[in-house]
Amino acid sequence: MIRLTIDDREITVPEGTMIVDAAAQLGIDVPIYCYHQALGPLGACRICLVQVEKMPKLVTGCTTAVQEGMVVHTRGAAVDKGRKGVLEFLLINHPLDCPVCDKGGECFLQDYTFQYGAPAGRYDEPKIHKLKDAPINDFIIIDQERCVLCQRCVRFMGEYVGEEQLLLEGRGVDTVVATVSHQPMDSQFSGNVIDLCPVGALLSIPYRYKARPWNLEREESVCPHCPVGCTTSVTSREGHVIRVEGRPVAGRNWGWLCDRGRFGYDFGYVEKRLLNALVEGREMSAAESTRTVGRWLDAALTDRGPESVAFLVGGQQTMEEAYQVARFSQEVLPGSRTAMVRTVEGYLPSGLNGSFQDIERADVVVYIGGDPYDAVPVVHLKVRERQRANPGLKVMGVGAYELTRDFHGAKNFTVKPQHQAAFLAYALAQAGTKSQAVEHLASQLGTYVPSLLNPVTPEEIQALGRTLLESEHLVLLWDGKEPEMESVLLALRAAREDATEVLPTFGPSNWRGWERAGIPAHFASLQTIIDDAAQGKISVLFVVGADLLRDYPDREQARRALERVDHVVQVGLFLPEEVQLYHAVVPGAGWSEVYGTYTNMEGRMQVAMATVQPPGQARPLRTYLNSWAHALKKSFVLESEWDPFDDDSGDFVPRESLPELRPVTVPEPSPGTPPGSLRVVGFSLVMEGGMPSEILAPRVPRFPGRISPQDAARLGFSEQGGELQLEGTMGKISVMVAPDRRIPDGILALPYGIHGSPLNQLGEGASVKAVRLEEVSLG
Amino acid sequence: MSQGPYLLRNQVIADIDQIDVYEANQGYQPLRKALKEYDPKALVEMVKASGLRGRGGAGFPTGMKWSFLPNDGRPRYLVVNSDEAEPGTFKDRELIEKNPHQLIEGMIISSYATGAREAYVYCRGEFLYGAAQLKRAVAEAYQHGYLGENILDSGFSLDIKVYRGAGAYICGEESALLESLEGKRGNPRLKPPFPAVAGLYGMPTVVNNVETICNLPPLVENGPEWYRTMGTEKSPGLKVMSVSGHVNRPGNYEIPLSTPLRSLIEDYAGGIKGGRQVKAIIPGGSSVPVLTADKLDTPVDYEAILAAGSMLGSGGCIVIDDQTCMVAVSARLVRFYREESCGKCTPCREGTFWMTDVLERMEAGAGNPRDLDLIRDMADNIAGKCFCPLGDASLGVVVSAMKYFEDEFEAHVTEHSCPMGARLYDTVNH
Amino acid sequence: MKPKWQVWANEAKAEFPKANSALLPLLHRIQTEEGYLSENTINDVAELLQLPVPYVESVVSFYSLYFQKPVGKRVIHVCVGLSCALNGSDQLMHHLEGKLGIQEGQTTQDGEVTLLEAECLAACDLAPVAQVNLRFVAPVESADALLAKEVNS
Ligand SMILES: Cc1cc2nc3c(=O)[nH]c(=O)nc-3n(C[C@H](O)[C@H](O)[C@H](O)COP(=O)(O)O)c2cc1C
Ligand code: SF4
Ligand code: FES
Repeated sequence: MIRLTIDDREITVPEGTMIVDAAAQLGIDVPIYCYHQALGPLGACRICLVQVEKMPKLVTGCTTAVQEGMVVHTRGAAVDKGRKGVLEFLLINHPLDCPVCDKGGECFLQDYTFQYGAPAGRYDEPKIHKLKDAPINDFIIIDQERCVLCQRCVRFMGEYVGEEQLLLEGRGVDTVVATVSHQPMDSQFSGNVIDLCPVGALLSIPYRYKARPWNLEREESVCPHCPVGCTTSVTSREGHVIRVEGRPVAGRNWGWLCDRGRFGYDFGYVEKRLLNALVEGREMSAAESTRTVGRWLDAALTDRGPESVAFLVGGQQTMEEAYQVARFSQEVLPGSRTAMVRTVEGYLPSGLNGSFQDIERADVVVYIGGDPYDAVPVVHLKVRERQRANPGLKVMGVGAYELTRDFHGAKNFTVKPQHQAAFLAYALAQAGTKSQAVEHLASQLGTYVPSLLNPVTPEEIQALGRTLLESEHLVLLWDGKEPEMESVLLALRAAREDATEVLPTFGPSNWRGWERAGIPAHFASLQTIIDDAAQGKISVLFVVGADLLRDYPDREQARRALERVDHVVQVGLFLPEEVQLYHAVVPGAGWSEVYGTYTNMEGRMQVAMATVQPPGQARPLRTYLNSWAHALKKSFVLESEWDPFDDDSGDFVPRESLPELRPVTVPEPSPGTPPGSLRVVGFSLVMEGGMPSEILAPRVPRFPGRISPQDAARLGFSEQGGELQLEGTMGKISVMVAPDRRIPDGILALPYGIHGSPLNQLGEGASVKAVRLEEVSLG
Repeated sequence: MSQGPYLLRNQVIADIDQIDVYEANQGYQPLRKALKEYDPKALVEMVKASGLRGRGGAGFPTGMKWSFLPNDGRPRYLVVNSDEAEPGTFKDRELIEKNPHQLIEGMIISSYATGAREAYVYCRGEFLYGAAQLKRAVAEAYQHGYLGENILDSGFSLDIKVYRGAGAYICGEESALLESLEGKRGNPRLKPPFPAVAGLYGMPTVVNNVETICNLPPLVENGPEWYRTMGTEKSPGLKVMSVSGHVNRPGNYEIPLSTPLRSLIEDYAGGIKGGRQVKAIIPGGSSVPVLTADKLDTPVDYEAILAAGSMLGSGGCIVIDDQTCMVAVSARLVRFYREESCGKCTPCREGTFWMTDVLERMEAGAGNPRDLDLIRDMADNIAGKCFCPLGDASLGVVVSAMKYFEDEFEAHVTEHSCPMGARLYDTVNH
Repeated sequence: MKPKWQVWANEAKAEFPKANSALLPLLHRIQTEEGYLSENTINDVAELLQLPVPYVESVVSFYSLYFQKPVGKRVIHVCVGLSCALNGSDQLMHHLEGKLGIQEGQTTQDGEVTLLEAECLAACDLAPVAQVNLRFVAPVESADALLAKEVNS
């Protein structure tokens, strides 16, 4: 630790801390443009000049590390003059068009000029003209004249994200930030450059000219789109959400968002948004609908008892709402059942659930089943950041295709779908450990010998097993597809001495929170309800904030279930698929419209504030629950404040003790895939699944399906891809596919929940016949 | 004193760029001596004892620089700076074009001394011929067993590679040079770490100027005591001065340090053209303050020139006659820095841009009295606040010229014309 | 991409411990033959050296001797550094502009000559200095003499 004095105040900070950061800890604001803690020092803009005693010149506080006994002055005549000079230089070629700049009021160039700048300009020469108002993709516009060349955006994309989509072009005063070959940037993380830009050079297109900072409101929130639960600030104006920004949390995250989270905020206002109740095909007010639903419930109770009522909770609800459903079920309809809508069947015991801090300490990270970039984008950045800090980090993939991207020295084991749990068990067994847990696993494997889709030697499998057992800090990211994996993970934890942490990358985003609120999370709970419904045992089925046909793994079975239920009642933001199967659809309120808590994949609870009113007739869930109870003449008092936080576990949901080990199912040797057919592998893709967004529409991939380049060639597609007709035992769909070199031959990777091409019509793991429909060229 | 020339033997021996001629004139004898009679440490000590200082501009003691290399077993590199782009400096070009073997021999000795197994010459992109000469000479040296494995049976091995930049003055700055040599934009690096600790490819690296390294063969041949018979205590030895501008015989002259400036201009460079008078001298390349005619008796050595108010720098001596407008001179040089600013840091990028505009406007007669204070203040806002020394370098001439020739600057903004009557400049832009 | 570029790339890569260092030499070699570095060429070079395209683009745009637009068969650089300016380089530039009918920075209609300013070319003893395709031509006696010898012969 280093002790120093800044503006006459003492502080002790770790060695290597930069002066600006040490000052910040004292609450002393040293202006910065180019510096960002996540990116490290650059020293380009020179605004952070400070005076250090015994040093002959002013120094930049962002590049000067603290030293024992250092005496720093962040103000004073020399410093002020220096800053003033830098600001004046920054402004000479700046267009000074603040009145029409969206950054106005939130701009560090304005703010610092106001604080430290000169009262009047002295520059009388002609300014340099550069590109203005040029879109660099569908969401972002660049104004090169306003750019202060701090390089944050360029460095973030290149060094941090690893997708070099911005560059410095030219030299000297002619330098500009530009995109590669002047093509649009398509990174999943492009929007972060808007937050990073300290001035008005990179601006959001959807937010453009929507508001001045003084007529908007900002509330703290959490992104609801995927299990990462990135912290955000939501900007609203006149009852509309008009912007989402990343919200850094000191010591925990930098506030990065993916573009889905940043720009997908308009789902509240899309045309598909449900504004009125729809009961048996008739539009009515929400209030009116509650009487009808109450009657159905009443009839169900008297005729068939509360066991004939069930509640399914889905993607859009907060923990508080899930808790309300659980209480309603227990108190108003004791004997009724609840479950959450799941897409994948796996479950992760909370005792195995790690946190993002584990990634920060990891020496090995293993992706199981899916690529975090697709499913939980910001986790990809966290792993990259870890690799920056620890170049020795090993990143490995075990899935039906290559899961790691652009990680130095990453290793992939390409394993057929439904074989991954067995494969990992096998790898552990090969590692020659004395662990009982692993021996127990091994004994279940019988004669199983893995056959991989990429060339891997037995030694490499053994080495994988050893790495899993022996690494110091192991983090696994699991996609939840194979339920048997749970036992493998438990055995692995039992066999290891050091940290073994698993992060579930599967949704629904808030599942861990609902579990905490009392909704059963195991797939079996959902399955029994669906099976019972299909057998006519359910009279009233509530589907809350989910789209059952889209999300349930077996679409046919879900359809059969809905068909046999007397009354299906949907509460949600949008009309569900095949709405004719629902008897009542009532408009619910969602994210940004209700206050509530979300639990992310770490099991961390985070609060999102309400910023706007629900539109139209949309009502918060509690209103419906209360009025249904009222219709049943039951007294049901929802406390206004349920506090999900626990004294001992703080922000985290309490961890439960680990369950018993259970045997893994050894996969049947799969029948050879008939020639010309493909095996279907599902994966979650935040860009594709989930809530609709008009802003994001241009970025939703046109070719969501991925096949190997060889298969694409065999099917007669060029590099762009085309449309395939797929036929399996469960049904038929057509889907747009593109070649991807990470996919092995014979595999078709398809995101869950694509509109119009439902994977659950085919079934995960199914072998499907693929027929080429047409080639599509991207104009 | 000097029996010379030592560094510029090409001026008296024809075809010394050919290896046989070079060898016939004691070439590569110092190398044999170094390899046979000295161990690396002794050579570093010898360079220290000689007091040789870097000839690239900063004048840093070479032996001391070499001894900064950490002893940690990592590979080391020697990089020779032949980016020579400082206006008024043209000595390295002559040294590589006319006597490339001398540099190569110096590099082998220096590499042996510093423990480098690989050495680079970074030539500025415009030195197409110089680089070709070096490449040819390197090939000859390999053929003659001076390069490659086990040189002259000493057990020491060395490879030399010749690299060409692509047009950027900033690549003369050592860390920008290393970036460029690694195939990047020539932006200077953050220091520390210094190249000695983390240089080329992150390895310990010595960066030296061409002329500095060319001193090695004569130094080994004649010993440090000989070197110290020339110059002063703190500035011993020989220096190649590039003299240009309004002189009768512009060219490179090898002088013992502490030779008076007047002698350099009059005896060596043949005095001022057309019998005119000296008005100002830029003694060490475009980055240093001007000296006025009353400083002609200053000895050319690091300390004396510093005491006179300027710097010896790279030894590019630009002589300006009394019919030249100092506003024009200043404008031209600041424009150079504007063109060559890498653009990374604000004061250099924007400051040189603005100052060029103001100076050119003044020169064109469109100045106003506020401009003088404005320039002074701008200079103050650049000075000491840039990422690398280039920003400060842009100020040397203009700030000193405004001090010594204030009347001239004032006349430009009050009379709106040049009292010299002469315009260096094309002023169509204003 | 021309097949021999692959060979050149391999040669350049073999010479340096890190592939990046091969970039400048390879660009020089290709530009010498192609005249300039088109967007396609930049993509090719990136591929040859397995470097990101934006990286190569950014490097190319930094250095004044790489051309991203076509240039004439002869590129004349006129030094406008101080020592040359003291010896008449501005007039030389003017005359050249007049004779060639183009401005500094432009290429003649017939694609023969591109006229460019150079910063100090480190040949001040020979002022005024020019380079034709990076070959020194100095001292330049007059614009006419230069053109007669270098362009019209
Ligand atoms: C802007 C700038 C340009 C420079 N240009 C050169 C140059 O062209 N040649 C050179 O040898 N040193 C140049 N230097 C100095 C080098 O950074 C470095 O100090 C020198 O090469 C060290 O060699 P020496 O110790 O032998 O002098 C330059 C420095 C700066 C700041
Ligand atoms: S990573 Fe997930 S939580 Fe974060 S911004 Fe993207 S969608 Fe939202
Ligand atoms: S913030 Fe320190 S130089 Fe930019």
